[in-house]
Amino acid sequence: MAWQSSSKATIARGGRRKALLAFTLATGFLLGACGKQAVRASEKEFLADRIMQFDADGQETAADEHILSNREGSSGGRGTGGGGCGCN
Amino acid sequence: MKCSAILGGLAYLALPIVLPALVTVLAPNSGAVAHAEDRVDSTTTWYQERRKGNLGGLTVVHPQLDIGVDVGDNTTLDLGYSADAVSGATAAVYSTDAVSSATTFKDLRHAANTGITFYGTRSSLSLSGNIGTERDYNSIGVGVSAKIDLPGKNTSLALSYNHGFDQVCDFDNGLATALERRPLTGQQACKKRQFLRGEDTSGDSIWRDLSLDSSQATITQNLSPSVVAQIGLFGQVVRGFQSNPYRRVRVSGVEAQENIPTVRGRAALMARVNKYMPSMKSAIHAMFRGYTDTWGVNSVTLGLGYSQYFGTSLLLRTNARIYQQSEATFFKDAFFYETEGSAGEYFTGDRELGAIRNVVGSMKFSYIKFDENGGNVLGVFDEVSFNLKGEVYLLDELPADPIEDNREGIDRQFLSSGQAVDAFTLQLGMLFRY
Repeated sequence: MAWQSSSKATIARGGRRKALLAFTLATGFLLGACGKQAVRASEKEFLADRIMQFDADGQETAADEHILSNREGSSGGRGTGGGGCGCN
Repeated sequence: MKCSAILGGLAYLALPIVLPALVTVLAPNSGAVAHAEDRVDSTTTWYQERRKGNLGGLTVVHPQLDIGVDVGDNTTLDLGYSADAVSGATAAVYSTDAVSSATTFKDLRHAANTGITFYGTRSSLSLSGNIGTERDYNSIGVGVSAKIDLPGKNTSLALSYNHGFDQVCDFDNGLATALERRPLTGQQACKKRQFLRGEDTSGDSIWRDLSLDSSQATITQNLSPSVVAQIGLFGQVVRGFQSNPYRRVRVSGVEAQENIPTVRGRAALMARVNKYMPSMKSAIHAMFRGYTDTWGVNSVTLGLGYSQYFGTSLLLRTNARIYQQSEATFFKDAFFYETEGSAGEYFTGDRELGAIRNVVGSMKFSYIKFDENGGNVLGVFDEVSFNLKGEVYLLDELPADPIEDNREGIDRQFLSSGQAVDAFTLQLGMLFRY
């Protein structure tokens, strides 16, 4: 874009490449555990606890996001609620 | 209000409801699994921000009400309502003497949402819709999300997509150039011909479209019996009018409505982990988020939290979060807009597009009552919880341009509080499951 200085654009591109690389590595790390019985069903007592759930209070999460997106230039990418207990 | 307008709004709300046949077919592994529980969830948040010398500030009261109802063994219907009652004062002109142009404002926003979720043995599929309306803004959104646990139920994949059809009221500037454009003043009509669609009034106000496409993918993984981690990738494209129609910027002596690009692409990468500590009945939480967008805003967020049970019913959660971002490529400190002019064709007084840093600290108390044997508590309820949360914000504006060349400094252009705590929230919530 015309208003972007070349130096800033180069820095941004470099940052995006690093971010993509980090995401790829992290995804590979987590997917490496897919299908393996990392935790047996009988061992999920702690994982099922409410304090281990991401965004356990949906309204609190929504209110926080609402405030922060109005006070910061970035928004989104704050994750998905729930946890990994697979307790359905 | 016309019946057709109301029906139009309800049609959007009903969208997820009229598609159950389709979704029943699509829902993976739709086994008869008794899943969710009926619930009523209510939270009210009070946000208070102070500005320097009491010249300005912001007060927001944000009530939320959500109701979840089981429809059969594997389907849940959700309905929700929220509002924003906003009042305060802010600088009308982004300039080095912003204090002199602080103006007061008031607004009320209503929003409603609905959704339907189908649960399978290892998966769920949700459709959602939302609407929002205020005097100068309309929004309609639809979304779909899916989640599946891989065999072993130690890995969970989630995908979501949302589209927003928004409209923003703007002053009818006709064919005026960027530096000739005038802002909304609050006196314009901003007429609406239907419940959620605006009607242009020639020479007074017009409605500009804003579309938002958002998508997110996350992987949640159990790493051990006491550690769970999540990584996620988020992307969004926003197209349309994104300026604040009320805000002016002083550019080389001219005070014109701010002018920013109409397309913005966003991407964020997040990772977080929870670790349970059985001996203390507590958990620690850590998170990281990196963000970048096509306007040149790059940011990093770090968070650390701790949860501690006291007995079986009391829970204390504390959290600290630090955030820092760089400025958009077209953002300048007010002094440089005044002395150098705009950055290309764009200029903005949005402090959220400047270089900023903030620290947020919170403490939340929860009283949770439920019967471990599945019986009722407090009459008909399976579980009740009451939450009280307090949060403080330390907001810091950083120089976007060389501070040694800025004779006016940056501390007057945003009306920062200049005090130890710039803002706080108090939040009271109640949840009933039955």
